[in-house]
Amino acid sequence: MTALTQIRPADRPILIAFSFTILILLIGTAYTMSTTGTVPLLQPSYLMQQLQIGSFLGLCAAGMMLVILTGHIDLSVPWTLTSAAMIATSVGGPWAIPAGLSVGLCVGLVNGFGVSVLRVPAMIFTLGLDTVLRGLMVARTGGFAPQDQATPAMLYLAKSKLMGVPVALFVWIAVSLLVTFILTRTTFGRALYAIGTNERAAWLSGIRTRAVVTGAFVGSGLCAALAGVLLAGYSAKAYQGMGNSFLLPAIAAVVLGGTHILGGRGRYAGTFLGVVLIVLLNSVLSIMQMPEALRQIIYGTVIIGMLLIYGRGMRVSE
Amino acid sequence: MQRPIVELSDVSISFAGVKALEGVDFSCHAGTTHGILGENGAGKSTLIKIISGVLKPDYGTIALNGKTVSVSGPAEAADAGIVCMFQELSLIPDLSVADNISLQRPPRRLGLIDKRAQIVRAEKLLSRVRCEDVDPRAMVRDLSLSRRQMIEVAKALGRDPKVLILDEATSALTQRDVETIYGLLDELRDDGVCSLFISHRMHEIDALCDRLSVFRNGHHVETFAKGERSDAEIVRLMIGRDVTAKFPPKPAPRERAPVVQLDDLRWQDRLKGISLTLGRGEILGIGGLDGQGQKELLLALFGVLKGVGGTVTVGENSGLPPSPHAAKTGRNRIALIPEDRKTEGLMLSLSIADNIIAAALDKVSSGAVIDRARLDAAVQDGMDRLRIKAGSTEDAVKTLSGGNQQKVVLAKWLMIAPDVILMNDPTRGIDVGTKQEIFRMMRALADEGKSILFYSSDYAELIGCSDRVIVLYDGQVVSELTGDAITEEAIVAASLNMQGEMA
Repeated sequence: MTALTQIRPADRPILIAFSFTILILLIGTAYTMSTTGTVPLLQPSYLMQQLQIGSFLGLCAAGMMLVILTGHIDLSVPWTLTSAAMIATSVGGPWAIPAGLSVGLCVGLVNGFGVSVLRVPAMIFTLGLDTVLRGLMVARTGGFAPQDQATPAMLYLAKSKLMGVPVALFVWIAVSLLVTFILTRTTFGRALYAIGTNERAAWLSGIRTRAVVTGAFVGSGLCAALAGVLLAGYSAKAYQGMGNSFLLPAIAAVVLGGTHILGGRGRYAGTFLGVVLIVLLNSVLSIMQMPEALRQIIYGTVIIGMLLIYGRGMRVSE
Repeated sequence: MQRPIVELSDVSISFAGVKALEGVDFSCHAGTTHGILGENGAGKSTLIKIISGVLKPDYGTIALNGKTVSVSGPAEAADAGIVCMFQELSLIPDLSVADNISLQRPPRRLGLIDKRAQIVRAEKLLSRVRCEDVDPRAMVRDLSLSRRQMIEVAKALGRDPKVLILDEATSALTQRDVETIYGLLDELRDDGVCSLFISHRMHEIDALCDRLSVFRNGHHVETFAKGERSDAEIVRLMIGRDVTAKFPPKPAPRERAPVVQLDDLRWQDRLKGISLTLGRGEILGIGGLDGQGQKELLLALFGVLKGVGGTVTVGENSGLPPSPHAAKTGRNRIALIPEDRKTEGLMLSLSIADNIIAAALDKVSSGAVIDRARLDAAVQDGMDRLRIKAGSTEDAVKTLSGGNQQKVVLAKWLMIAPDVILMNDPTRGIDVGTKQEIFRMMRALADEGKSILFYSSDYAELIGCSDRVIVLYDGQVVSELTGDAITEEAIVAASLNMQGEMA
């Protein structure tokens, strides 16, 4: 910890997350060495496969970060993802992916309108919209998994490999580069940080806060929808509740990566590492054949524990 | 003289490297009304926060009744009988008057709050502050600002103070209430209470206090009995040199092409038909007591308020901008230096560079993409222009001193090359040197042809800076002063809406 104090405060969470990722890999490897004598965790093919699964979470977290930076939160991710997947598979053909993404766009616009214009707290509004979407999808499908199949384009994006690397990973990296560019090099990105730090001061500086907040929600909606389209491709079809396991991990990845949960602070590299950390933690826990219940407990404890470490660091730096 | 009730020895405290108090020795005695004088940023409020246990000094000791204590928090100070009335009201709007008065230690019966005893207690205290007309069962939300302030006084009395601290407690009061407070302070003095009285109004200090302490730049300059020093001497002690050199010279009054014209501007019950003209290259001062509509007037012009009535012309455009963004980007660009730089002017945890460029991002970007080189150049230009002292432009703006923070706010707005600059008390809480720089900059901007609408709670600033002064009272312009007619007497008289009676 003493060496860490030399480092810029903004980079500290990223370094902690990175060290922790290495630590998880070491523990997992030590375990597999002692039990089976193999090192699956250090094999590129295994890591690739884990990151391929992680890319769905990575997309959700990228969008979530945009919203969290403004000081809001998007709890509608699970059913935005599911709805996008269901609409995409049922439209089918060349319009499947655009149709899925447009679901995300609409959800984002509605969330943005509710939070920035109607000024309903994001936690309530997005949770409400999530429930509405669930109702709509149950009404549409009768509560069963739809029979429609994913289109070849969706299958390609989610399952194929390009030069030995999963295409889904390329999609995640492309979105990551785009988000990094938006956050560091565009007026929209600067405005996100300004609003998250002090919305009133940002508004009084002539920043169009409503448009920017809506933009953040649209970003989150699009990312969740893209994750849904890909996940439907990965599973070859859409199914009920496919997005349910993404909400907490997405928020956790953003926060573990050093983004302040109340907005205004954080770098995208942190979110990326946060996703990697969570994916590896999950896979090490499953390699160790933990019972599901214990896995959940360890998983939650690790997230809370790391946030406590950050909390200490923040106080010291201020 | 007997033992002092509060005694501070060699107290120092600093915030982010800036010394707020340095080596201060201060004492006050029971049965006195002790006035504390000093400019904004002299360390008065820091002193009070230390006495009332809100802040802990870095060095030095505090003794209460002769015993050295380490005051660990406001609760301990309150137990010692130190009661503080802050400028910001501490009442909870959704509780009743009686609930608020007995908030700290409500009378209990069987462990529950005894509502009836509480109301009796409230009635007793309200009658001491001559507010018998206030129903103890009324919600604080429904009362006017001046009533709330008096309830604040009643609440403080209810805590049985040994040391009562009044920080600008009279700023929002009516004349009758001010007299009530005068009477109360006399009563308390006879009861052996020590009152610490902070006010910017010399005549109040003159009328009330028997001892005076002057603070300047975090130092305790001198304490003396009333009458030992003349007003001019006191002012010199406060600012450390003669007053005259403080403001840049004004140009002779002349006809100016109007830039902003307001006719019968109305908003809710705060603005009641304001008409004014602001000329090109003119500094128009707005005076009056706090809360007479000055802030709302500036906010209305900046497009912050909704539902403003009346006719407005800014340049060739008629009508108010619908939002701050529209105000900033219209044909006649408008800038607002807001009242509270910490909550409205700055994004404190972001870097200096991010703050300086916050209003002018579009000027350093092509489309939505920021051009780093142009951004860095613009930020450096702003830093140089206002001579902002900082280690690096990447440092968080909260690490700067108050004066430099305000310069960042100014730099941010000069970035958009505004035609009209609205300033809401721009020198509040900053040091004298920076104040002078700001005044010089205002005059230079006016000479360039910018129009400045300038509200200040400090009359000396209005007199020193403005080409013309209008005084607001209850949402209306009650007086307009030009040239040599701008005097403290004239402004004070107009502020109290008692033209001719005071002067």
